[in-house]
Amino acid sequence: MNRRPACEEAETAATAIATGSPLVQIGLPTGTRSTGFEASRRDVLSLMGFSLGALGLGSGCRAPVQHAVPLPAASTEMVPGVPNLYATTCGACSASCGLVVKQRDGRPIKIEGNDASPLTRGGTCAAGQASVLSLYDDARLRGPVWLGNPVSWEEIDRHIKTMLNAGSGDPRAVVLLSQTITSPSALAVLNDFRVAFPSFRHVVYDPMSLAALREANRLAHGAAVVPHFRFDRARVVVGLEADFLGTWLAPVEFARQWSRRRTADGERAFHVQCESGMSVTGSNADLRLAIAPSELGPFAVALLAAVARRVSDDGLAGLRGAGLAPDAPHAAAIDRIADALARHRGEALVVTGSNDVATQLVVAKLNALLGGVGKTVDLEQPSLQRQGDDAQVADLIQQMNRGAVRALIVWGANPVYDHPDGVAFTAALKKVPLTISLADRRDETGAHVRALCPDHHFLESWGDAEPVRGQFSLRQPLIAPLHDTRSGVESLLVWAGRPTDHRTRLRDFWQRELHPRALGAGPFEGFWERSLERGVVEMPQPAVAVHAFAGDWQGAVRDIVTRGGRPPTEAYELALQETVGARDGRHANNPWLQELPDPITRLTWGNVACIAPATAAAQGITTGDVVTLTTEVGKLELPAFVQPGQERRTISVAIGYGRWAAGKAGDGVGGNVFPLVRVENGLRRASAPVTLSKTGRRARLAPAQTHFSMEGRDIVQTMALGQDKHEAEHEHEHEALPNLWRERLHGAHAWGMSIDLDACTGCSACVVACQAENNVPVVGAEQVRKSRIMHWMRIDRYLEGDGEDVISHHQPMMCQHCQHAPCETVCPVLATTTSSEGINQQVYNRCIGTRYCANNCPYKVRRFNWHNFTANDDFPFNMTSPLGRLVLNPDVTVRSRGVMEKCNLCVQRIQLAKNQALLQRRPMADGDVATACQQACPTGAIVFGDLADAQSRVSKLLAGRRAYRVLEDLGTRPNVGYLKKITSKETT
Amino acid sequence: MSAGDIPITTSPAVAPTDLVQPTRWIEGSPSLHRITTDIAQPMEARPGRGWWICFGIASAALLNLLGMVTYLFAKGIGIWGLNNAVGWAFDITNFVFWIGIGHAGTLISAILLLFRQKWRTSINRSAEAMTIFAVMCAGLFPLIHMGRPWDCFFIFPYFPNQRGPLWVNFRSPLVWDVFAISTYFTISLVFWFMGMIPDLATLRDRAVGGIKKFIFRILSMGWNGSQRTWSRYEIVSLVLAALATPLVLSVHSIVSTDFATSLVPGWHTTIFPPYFVAGAIYSGFGMVLTLLLITRVTMNLQRYITFNHLEAMAKVILLTGSLVGYAYATEFFNAWYSGNVHERFHFINRATGPYAWCFYLMVLCNVLTPQVFWWKRARRSIPVLFVASILINVGMWFERFVIIVVGLHRNFLPSAWGMFYPTVFDIGILIGVFGLFFTLFLLFIRALPMIAMWEIKGVSHD
Repeated sequence: MNRRPACEEAETAATAIATGSPLVQIGLPTGTRSTGFEASRRDVLSLMGFSLGALGLGSGCRAPVQHAVPLPAASTEMVPGVPNLYATTCGACSASCGLVVKQRDGRPIKIEGNDASPLTRGGTCAAGQASVLSLYDDARLRGPVWLGNPVSWEEIDRHIKTMLNAGSGDPRAVVLLSQTITSPSALAVLNDFRVAFPSFRHVVYDPMSLAALREANRLAHGAAVVPHFRFDRARVVVGLEADFLGTWLAPVEFARQWSRRRTADGERAFHVQCESGMSVTGSNADLRLAIAPSELGPFAVALLAAVARRVSDDGLAGLRGAGLAPDAPHAAAIDRIADALARHRGEALVVTGSNDVATQLVVAKLNALLGGVGKTVDLEQPSLQRQGDDAQVADLIQQMNRGAVRALIVWGANPVYDHPDGVAFTAALKKVPLTISLADRRDETGAHVRALCPDHHFLESWGDAEPVRGQFSLRQPLIAPLHDTRSGVESLLVWAGRPTDHRTRLRDFWQRELHPRALGAGPFEGFWERSLERGVVEMPQPAVAVHAFAGDWQGAVRDIVTRGGRPPTEAYELALQETVGARDGRHANNPWLQELPDPITRLTWGNVACIAPATAAAQGITTGDVVTLTTEVGKLELPAFVQPGQERRTISVAIGYGRWAAGKAGDGVGGNVFPLVRVENGLRRASAPVTLSKTGRRARLAPAQTHFSMEGRDIVQTMALGQDKHEAEHEHEHEALPNLWRERLHGAHAWGMSIDLDACTGCSACVVACQAENNVPVVGAEQVRKSRIMHWMRIDRYLEGDGEDVISHHQPMMCQHCQHAPCETVCPVLATTTSSEGINQQVYNRCIGTRYCANNCPYKVRRFNWHNFTANDDFPFNMTSPLGRLVLNPDVTVRSRGVMEKCNLCVQRIQLAKNQALLQRRPMADGDVATACQQACPTGAIVFGDLADAQSRVSKLLAGRRAYRVLEDLGTRPNVGYLKKITSKETT
Repeated sequence: MSAGDIPITTSPAVAPTDLVQPTRWIEGSPSLHRITTDIAQPMEARPGRGWWICFGIASAALLNLLGMVTYLFAKGIGIWGLNNAVGWAFDITNFVFWIGIGHAGTLISAILLLFRQKWRTSINRSAEAMTIFAVMCAGLFPLIHMGRPWDCFFIFPYFPNQRGPLWVNFRSPLVWDVFAISTYFTISLVFWFMGMIPDLATLRDRAVGGIKKFIFRILSMGWNGSQRTWSRYEIVSLVLAALATPLVLSVHSIVSTDFATSLVPGWHTTIFPPYFVAGAIYSGFGMVLTLLLITRVTMNLQRYITFNHLEAMAKVILLTGSLVGYAYATEFFNAWYSGNVHERFHFINRATGPYAWCFYLMVLCNVLTPQVFWWKRARRSIPVLFVASILINVGMWFERFVIIVVGLHRNFLPSAWGMFYPTVFDIGILIGVFGLFFTLFLLFIRALPMIAMWEIKGVSHD
């Protein structure tokens, strides 16, 4: 694939926009632009040109009328059929991971990670993979809206500027309420805004806040920062209610770091996770303890005491008597953890997601005691990914109520939905004369503001990001804006009276501010081009001034111990959880994420109240019973879900559901749990005392998996740490099965795959990546209930044991590409065959849909098109909408009804790599091809390659002692092998 | 033996002297003319109210079938309850069920002919007709169960073609089904038609004119009843019977390989071919009994279909039912003896899982019900025979359902376990196909001689 720099095309488009040069106007596809079409939007042509690609090519009888329009002006950049790759930065959350996005025929269709990023090294997460679809979301605003009426930008700017400038002597504040802005150039623009409006304030808002962490670091080390955690430097990791592999702070980066230390040999990192609800992180820990949210603080204190006894001479005076009683439930575990931590001072890391300052201070002290500061906890080059200040938000609401705010701009935040005092916020909004939302749709907050000035989608936008100090990345548009939207930065500049286009502003900022600090970068032009091409740049910044730990940890301990001594007000506690699919709710209208089975519950299309098995049994609650959760401030009815591993007294509920203005796919899905917790002492809580009562009703869940036991079959195999070094007997010694068949003819390659069950965290980025790459349809909750989900790749979850010490396994499962495929012998029409290169092929246009192959597949990886899932109003998702179909990959057939489909090891990618090798007159090299799932994986668990090449990575992995095949005894001879999961109970 | 009306007696006990004398299969000794008129009577008289009521119900079900199949083609297989775990349920259950039912006809026509069982003569015509109609009903399912039925011709090895040329996959049991069922249908049709020619000639001669005479003249193909014709005809019948005989064993064996050649636990077993054949004969005789018990009364054919015939059929049912029961026991034993964890689990799941009620119903109907026929009084009791015949077919339908759905819904990877719940379309099509079958059968008994006149005449004066 060609990796292009700041594409000429974007430059040309930018020039065209700037100069208004005329381009040819041809008709419009349905569903895109409305009136006011400007001839300069030439890229609309490119998106139209491939409406054809969105057609169901195999979809039976009549083809609907399409507007296929050839490009009148040939572009040297864009060759039909050849993808271009452009580096950009993800905007799906504030982690701002580096991306490389595949663009076909002028539109982005697939998001991939940027290998050049030192942070993520090419990994992505499920939400990031899915965010390409939100570009083509029908719910997006088509243009600005003033008081409910669509208007032009000139008009809305006039309204806004009038109102803003009218208050030049007005002491009332102009406030920008935004998500964490990691873009240094955007932050610089805010300064301009401040110049124009001296009463300007920027309030940062994070629904899952780390304000306490920042405050604790301010108290402890003198800087209110979120540290850059370095899991790759830790030999012992302790996570306290922090789902750092799933959704906490920077999960892609942390997963990569964590997996680097999870080697199969004796130096392997030891991971302990203490949490109330089962999370992705907890399901991968070596030791998992279930502790309730209210027990988190005392647990941290007890851990501090235990560590102090081991590492400090006096056991830290002030901690005497603060440890847990010897017979407390977790006392033995704490001793064990403390032993591990103490043995690896300087290589230990303790993180907590708690939003309580005292707990964070205790953990900060623990890290300091363990010598982690500067090693595993980097405060000098901190993370900039969470800067939300809960106290300021709470203040803001009060000020709005008092009438002290004259203008509020909401950018990337949705407080009416996700703030605990959402109702109060809504009321307060009415008291602000000018309210503006830069959101891309009429969301919950946008329904109550005067002006909607929709920002671009990040794939249409210029920008930059500094997720961690000194690590920069750039964002460039992959497509000219589909609708009449405008960059938020440009909007602010216009209103500040200094209209500049975003690109110019960005370039100037880099030239003025950043380029001088880039050592050895050469002249700016070259630096700019290279940076755009590469996407990421490391430019060391001055370290943040921090001092050694000096916080009042004793006060914090006292605080916690006092609080812990109070009896709980209710029998249960509610804990909020952020899940990999829903995140904080901003992607609720993305059907790929709604249909993504949660790695822990395996449910889709809705959230549940997770209850421990013992508690559920005692209450007579079974999965599916609708229960009412009542806290001091809110009430919610949700279906219950019996979750092994759930802490006994805690009920966990995923956030991000229950929206009512997200769009057709997201409205009314699940329940909104945000209003059930409150803001205490200026900090958002993630837990609250709750009562649980049954309603007597039942709800139908939409699970992708209903049975979690392996039934004694060794489907997920494990190996003890260090076992592969011994020459001892395998546990599973298989006799070589005789082969009754003649060997098939082999081609030049034998494509195969290795999946490392130890590295797989269950994050499900691969599932969404496969869906994006292969045009896998969304089927909706009703079809999922009927077990008709279409994902080619699934992550099975198996549980061993029950109760709180349950062990969880994630196993990615897709077509195993058996060389003795049971599906092939039974297909009557030869619609499934194995290629000479070992890929089990599905020939869509030959398949008549008898489904014998699916019945005979022991892995049950085949997916049948039960209905026409495309261009069918019964399934109103992206494949029915003309705009949504733009995300389809033109290299992959869209299957019609009645046809079987399954993983084909991204054969289109293999073909592309083969062609490129041919053109370059060289043989294919290992690593030329990365399947979509392999590319997306942040831990590198999936390795694809040529088994015919003994030197390829995959060959070596599958020749190792950890390798095995699932259901090997059946004699299917799959080309997909798994590496046994390593179990380690101790740290050496 | 004098000609004339002889009142029909109730079932006499079979005297021990019958061991020496051949059994009298026809009650009284009706004259040849009497035989003709008795059998031709339904075709020449107007149908009674009972026929109309039955025909109305059957036609309604048939119309329902047509409507639902149209909707199925329009909307897709998704209107059924099938899913990723269970790819076949009612569709293939019905297919195997109807093919199985057809086997009785072929056995009665062909095998009993070769074994010179004279009692077959009263029932063979309608049994053959039942086979034809059952195969038609069965053949509907491979067509409608396809995801893309408009491409169904892909499954036929037509040559040359412009797709390669491309053959079909001869290793697939579904292709074997194509050959087996088309062969079965063809031979059954030919055999049935050939067997009717003398009777069609009789009807031609009886017809007074108009369209009826024209049709029967065409169909009887110039039959002149001469000695030479008759002798050639008997040879042809024997040849056709010899051709049709292996089909009784082969067709359902091949259908069973749809399951036996797969690797699904509960399917993957060599016992299936003989087990299915026994089951097919069992269910076929059940259906024959159901049909004949009703029609012999409604068409006044008790003289020709006597208790001796019914008792003979009951004995076949007892034999084949016991074979089926033995096969069940063997399956369970093999599953345990094999030690194969998947096989063992499948059978435990059969008996204790979510579909256990289907399993117990199946055992009740297939294993326990036929055992009642050890008692002669049961063999010669109309109510017992009728209830048993219904239960037999219920049981055999559930047997196929249990094999298919229980085998599929839980097998190797527990993460892929699922459930099948029938939708209104599954059930509607099941009922609708019965409508098709009974519509055809009801039309048959009014349009064609449901008992082989010429064969009866051959045995009525022994």
